[in-house]
Amino acid sequence: MELFLARLFDGISSGATYAVIAVALVLIYKATTLINFAQGELAMLGSFIAYVLAVEQGIPLYLAILLAMVLSAVLAAGIERTLIRPFDPADHLPLVIITLGLFLAINATAGMVWGFDPRNFPEVFPDGNLLTFGIARLRWYTVGTLATVLVLLVLLNLLLKRTKIGLAFRAVSSNLESAGLVGVRAGPTLQFGWMLATAVGTLAGVLFVADPFRQLEPTWAIRVLIFAAAAAVLGGLDSLWGALAGGLILGLVESIAVGYIDFIPSQMGLATAVVVIIAVLLVRPAGLFGAERVERV
Amino acid sequence: MTMSAWTITEGSSAHKAYRYVPWAVFVLVVVTAPFWAVHTPSFSVGDSTFTFSIGNLNHAVAYMVGVLGLGLLVGFNGQISLGNSFFMGIGGYITATLVTDNGWPFLATLVVVLPVTFIVGMLVGLPALRIRGLYLALTTLGLAAVFPAIVRLQQLRDRTGGANGKRIASDLDAPSWLPLESFAEFLAGIPLIGEWAFGEGRLGAREESAIWVYVLLALLTAAAFWVARNLIYSRPGRSIIAIRDNETGAAINGVNLQMTKTLTFGVSAALGGLSGTMYAMAIQFVAPDVFGINLAIFLIVGLVVGGVGTLSGAIIGGLVIIFIPIWASQVSSVPGVPERFLRGPTGVFFLGLLLIVLTFFLPGGIVYGVRKLRSRLVSVVPRRPEDVSPDVPPREEAAESIMDRRDDAEASAMSAPATTDSTPDQANHQGETL
Repeated sequence: MELFLARLFDGISSGATYAVIAVALVLIYKATTLINFAQGELAMLGSFIAYVLAVEQGIPLYLAILLAMVLSAVLAAGIERTLIRPFDPADHLPLVIITLGLFLAINATAGMVWGFDPRNFPEVFPDGNLLTFGIARLRWYTVGTLATVLVLLVLLNLLLKRTKIGLAFRAVSSNLESAGLVGVRAGPTLQFGWMLATAVGTLAGVLFVADPFRQLEPTWAIRVLIFAAAAAVLGGLDSLWGALAGGLILGLVESIAVGYIDFIPSQMGLATAVVVIIAVLLVRPAGLFGAERVERV
Repeated sequence: MTMSAWTITEGSSAHKAYRYVPWAVFVLVVVTAPFWAVHTPSFSVGDSTFTFSIGNLNHAVAYMVGVLGLGLLVGFNGQISLGNSFFMGIGGYITATLVTDNGWPFLATLVVVLPVTFIVGMLVGLPALRIRGLYLALTTLGLAAVFPAIVRLQQLRDRTGGANGKRIASDLDAPSWLPLESFAEFLAGIPLIGEWAFGEGRLGAREESAIWVYVLLALLTAAAFWVARNLIYSRPGRSIIAIRDNETGAAINGVNLQMTKTLTFGVSAALGGLSGTMYAMAIQFVAPDVFGINLAIFLIVGLVVGGVGTLSGAIIGGLVIIFIPIWASQVSSVPGVPERFLRGPTGVFFLGLLLIVLTFFLPGGIVYGVRKLRSRLVSVVPRRPEDVSPDVPPREEAAESIMDRRDDAEASAMSAPATTDSTPDQANHQGETL
C-alpha cells in the first residue's frame, strides 16, 4: 500500500510537469495546427535563462522566473515572425523542417554556452513533505507543481474566453480564413500564440528542473518532449484540460505500470509513451477531450 | 527565348560531352577518393586545420544509403517520417551481433538484416496508414527516441553490450587478388599531381583494409541507388509519387494506397537497415546513442541539404552530415567567439542552422541549385528535323516548352515537395539522378 502510494505520488509529480509542457504544445497546436518540435528545447532554454538570472545574476527566484518567461516569449515572437510566418501554415513539411532546425540549433547553443555539466536548480517550492505514510511521501514539490498547473489552466481559460485577444486567438484557431474576413489579423494573433506557448513552456521547464531529484542540463527536454507530446495526444491535441488529464494519466502509467509489471523494464517508460501515442492516434485520433476533426476531400 | 548563356543542340557532340563528362568526373572522383583520403589530407584556414580521412569518408558513404531510404519515403511518397534511425539501429546491431557472436561474414548478415528491417518497416508503416502528416512525424520521432532504450535493456545486454556499445571483433582484410597497391602506385605515378595527392603510393595493411571497406560500401551504395532509381522509374514508383502529389487522385486512378504506402515504408526501412550494416562495417563499433534522435534529425538534414525529391541528393546529404560536424569541431578560433563555445556541439548547431537557412533560400537543396545554375548556363534544344524545310518556323517554341517544364518542376519543388501538384511525369523528371 505504501509502495502504491509512493508510486502514485511519483506519477502525479512527473505527470504534472508533462502536463505543463503538453499545455504549451496544445497552445501552438490550437493556434496553428502545428506540432512544434522545438517546444521542449525552448522550455529548456527558458529554464537556463531563469537559472542564469536567479543564480548568476542574483535576481529573486520568482522574479527571475517571470523575467525568463517574458524573455523567452520575446524570443518566440521573433522566431514566429522571421522563421514561421513566411511559410504556408497548411504545408507541413517546411514547418516540420524549420522546427527541427530550431531543435538542433537551440540544443547546440545551450550546449555551447552552458556545457553539459548538470547543475542544481534552486528550489521553487519548499523542501520537505506535506504528508508522509512510511515510504510514501507527498512532497511539497508535487503539490506545488499540481497547484501551479491548475492555476495556469484557469488563467489560460480566462485569457482565451474572456479577453479580446483570446477571442481572436480562438477565431484564428477555429478558421483562419473566416477570422481574416471578420478583421482578425492572423499574423499577430499566431505570434501571440507562440509567445504564450513559449512562456508557458519556460514555466514548465522551470518546474521540471526544480524537482530536487532532477538536474539542469541541455538534454533534459528531448525525453520530456516525447512524454509531453504523448500527454497532449492522449488528452486531445486541442484541449487544454485534456493536456492535464493526459499528463497525469501518463505520469501514473509510467510510475505504476512500469513499477508493477515485471516484464516492462524500467527504461521502457519512454516506450510506454510512444505506445500511448500510437494507440491513441490509431483508435481515437481526437484523444480523450479533443474535438473530432472532419476531413474534407 | 532562352535565358541561358549557351545553347546546345540535342544529339550534337557538345550535347554528348554535356551529358557524359559530369558522369566521367563523378566516376573518377569516386574511384580515386579513397586513395587520396587514406593519407588524411588536410587544409588550413587561419589557424584551424580541417582533415578528410578515409574513416570519415566510409562513415559518410554508409549514411548516404540511410538518407536515400528516408528520401524515398519523405521525398517521393510524402510521408513525413523521422524514424529511419530506428531501422539503421536494427541493421547495425543485427550485423554487430551476428559478426561478433556468431562469426558471420559482414555481407552475409544482410540476409537477415534486409528481411527483418523490411518487415519491421512494414509493421511501422501499418499505423502510418491512419496516422498522417505531423502525427506521423511525431510518432516516428518517438520511435527514434526509444531505440537507445531498447538496446540498453537488461534482457538484451548480453547481445547488445548495453550502454557501453559493442565492438565488432572482425577485420575486413582486402583480398590479395585486388591490386590496390599497384593502383595506388599508378595514381602516385601520375605526373605533376600524383605524388602530391596520393603520396608515395605505398599502402599499409590498415590502409588497404580501409580502402577495401570503401570498395564494399561503394558497391553496396551503387546497388542501393540502382534499386531506388529503378523503383522510382517503374510503375510502383509512379504510384508512390502519385500518392505524394494527390492521394485521392491516386486512389481514383487505381493505386492501392495501403499496399503502396506500406511497401514504401518497408523498402525505406530495408535501405535504413542496409545503411546500419554499412555503418557497422565502416566503424566496427555500435553504441545505443549513435542511433538516437540526433541521427534521426541528421538524416532529415541530409535529405534537405541534398534535395527532397531527388535521389542524387542523398550523396551530398551523407557527406554533409558527417563532414560539417567534424569540420566544425576542428575550428580552433573564430574572432569574437569564446573558445569554450567552440568546444561545444558546434557541428549540431551548424546542421540546425543549415536546415533553417536552406529551407528559406534553397528549398530544393543543393541538387536543385546545381540544376538551376546549369539551366541558366546551358540550354539543350531539340535537333531540327532534317526533312523539314528551313522556312518552317524555328523550333524555339518547343525549346521553350521544355524549359517551362523544367521551371515548373523546380517551382513546385520550391513550394515543398510533399504537396507538389506536379504531374507524375514532372515528378519523374525531378527524380533524375545527377
